[in-house]
Amino acid sequence: MLAKHETVLLAVILVEILLFQNLGRNFLAESNVSNIFRHSVEIGLLALVMTPVILTGGIDLSLGSMMGLCAVVFGLLVKQFDVSPWLAAVAAISLGAFGGMGNAFLITRMNLPPLIVTLGTFSLFRGLAEALTKGSEAYSGFPQGFLNLGNANVLGLPAQLWVFFFITLLVWVLVHRTVWGRSLQAIGFAPQGARYAGISVGRNTGMAYVLAGAIAGLAAVILVARLGEARANIGIGYELLAITAVVLGGTSIFGGSGSISGTLLGYVAIAILNNGLSRITAHQIFDQPVSSVARELSGMLTGLLLLLALAAGVLLKSLAIRRARRQSLITTTNPTPST
Amino acid sequence: MKKYSREWSVAAAFGLLMLSLLIVAPHFFHWQPLLSRVTSQMPAMVVALGVALVIISRQIDISIGAQFSMCAVIAGLVAASGLPLGVAILAAIACGALMGALNGLLVAYLGLPSIVVTLATMVTWQEALRLWQQGRLLNLPEGIQWFGQSQAQGQAIVIGATALLLILLSWLMKNIAVGRAIYAVGSDAEAARLAGINPQRTTFGVFVSMGVLAALAAVMNLVQSPQIQPSCGDGMELKAIAAAVVGGIAIRGGRGTLWGVLPGLLLLANVNPALTHFHQPPYWEKAIQGLVIILAVVADGWNQKKQSKNG
Repeated sequence: MLAKHETVLLAVILVEILLFQNLGRNFLAESNVSNIFRHSVEIGLLALVMTPVILTGGIDLSLGSMMGLCAVVFGLLVKQFDVSPWLAAVAAISLGAFGGMGNAFLITRMNLPPLIVTLGTFSLFRGLAEALTKGSEAYSGFPQGFLNLGNANVLGLPAQLWVFFFITLLVWVLVHRTVWGRSLQAIGFAPQGARYAGISVGRNTGMAYVLAGAIAGLAAVILVARLGEARANIGIGYELLAITAVVLGGTSIFGGSGSISGTLLGYVAIAILNNGLSRITAHQIFDQPVSSVARELSGMLTGLLLLLALAAGVLLKSLAIRRARRQSLITTTNPTPST
Repeated sequence: MKKYSREWSVAAAFGLLMLSLLIVAPHFFHWQPLLSRVTSQMPAMVVALGVALVIISRQIDISIGAQFSMCAVIAGLVAASGLPLGVAILAAIACGALMGALNGLLVAYLGLPSIVVTLATMVTWQEALRLWQQGRLLNLPEGIQWFGQSQAQGQAIVIGATALLLILLSWLMKNIAVGRAIYAVGSDAEAARLAGINPQRTTFGVFVSMGVLAALAAVMNLVQSPQIQPSCGDGMELKAIAAAVVGGIAIRGGRGTLWGVLPGLLLLANVNPALTHFHQPPYWEKAIQGLVIILAVVADGWNQKKQSKNG
């Protein structure tokens, strides 16, 4: 059974689909539906791995910058050192995991707040990417076999969607069917309590950041395959979209509760919003070229959506607490006949 | 026990950077370029003062860059419409206070984490501004630059106003009940509440002050050039937070002095000019800034560990 929050999200997605089908052209055409996911799968990947991080009560702002760094290193390896793209992809993913390990070390060993640590690495990773490309260089001209990962169809679906399905399954199993995933919820709920229950808080929390870094590396490779170009500015702002998807999906920003299915729905809602807005013809909103307006409008709406989701989450929670309190009041004022 | 003195070690690091510049590249210290460089760093200093208040109260605000841009554009538009500069400044302050109040409302009264709230408001303002202005450069009327004075007088006003704000805010934080309340809420909100402080109102006030300071900074930036970009505040949040953290404002709240922000900001802001004067490529700037933030936080963590062992 779907939890209540996810039912609401499904309804939101349905409304979006109906709205855009009526406003835009060919919104539900098969080519556009696969386009929606082809163009946003990286955000989905980041959202999936952001979920365990937020479950522990942490946050990772460095994932977008990590994508930039991994993309640049990938391009550098393939173009300057003639490494095969697939080997370079493995290197990019390892680099991501390594960067995640850096975050994990500072957060769990040095006991520093995740927010400020990843704010620092947010700047550091992007800065390294810019330094490696001297600020402006881009790498392109990758072999066609590799570009197919971003542009071809496999069994009727975009190739990268299969990767996404696999990672979804992997993260779902990790979060919902392993001791590790269970321990994350305990840590987010009460770190001290989790420690007393014999959970290794540091190691389990750290693994969430390592996983996040590795998948950010993978997302970078997929994005490079779609764009056909590796630049330092790849993935700017993606961490925000990922956090929005996670929070929309009902995962508590304070940690301790949340689900991968919710994150998936949150991601789909954002992906449809972005795509749908870009298909509404220009003069329906402004007398301006559609491409420029749509991107900013959807960015603004994503920000507003996140604020609304956050506020709704808190208000619903306080309502539930009030209801629970009233119920307990009723049971205490009407005690059952004592034996 | 030795007093925690991050301010002095940062000031020493800054002094060292200046000393090596004096030896390697003495033309760094030519009066006119030096003066205009310092003047151009003052807006970031004012923003950093605001963010120091926010961090001391154990919150964070990353929407300040977007607030800065928004206030600059509002002030610019008001000034361009022919109204006097005073009105433009008031409009910017009102705009900043409103944006700060929205953050404060969501953080203080709904209890939402400030990082996510301000992340969301940052994107909302930034994209709204882009949608509205479409990246156009805004030309400012004649009498705006340097407040309608000569350049030397204008620079003196900007630097003087920043110094005045620094002195005033430092004094307020140390000697006035509101200032002490901010420290108290930052080190333990529950204890502060039991001591009769209203933590929600304090937090709300801090976010509003942040908005007002961002507006003042935007005006100080506005008067320095004949036109402004709607993206003038992009990345300002990182610069300001880094300056505050490097200057010894404890990221866990409740500790740090506003004085430390000055060497922190000067150190970071001079990374880029120093790189050029050392004949190094400037694109290392962001990486170095990130590294400095991490180093500062690590030093902070060590210090705290040592203190908790001693105590």
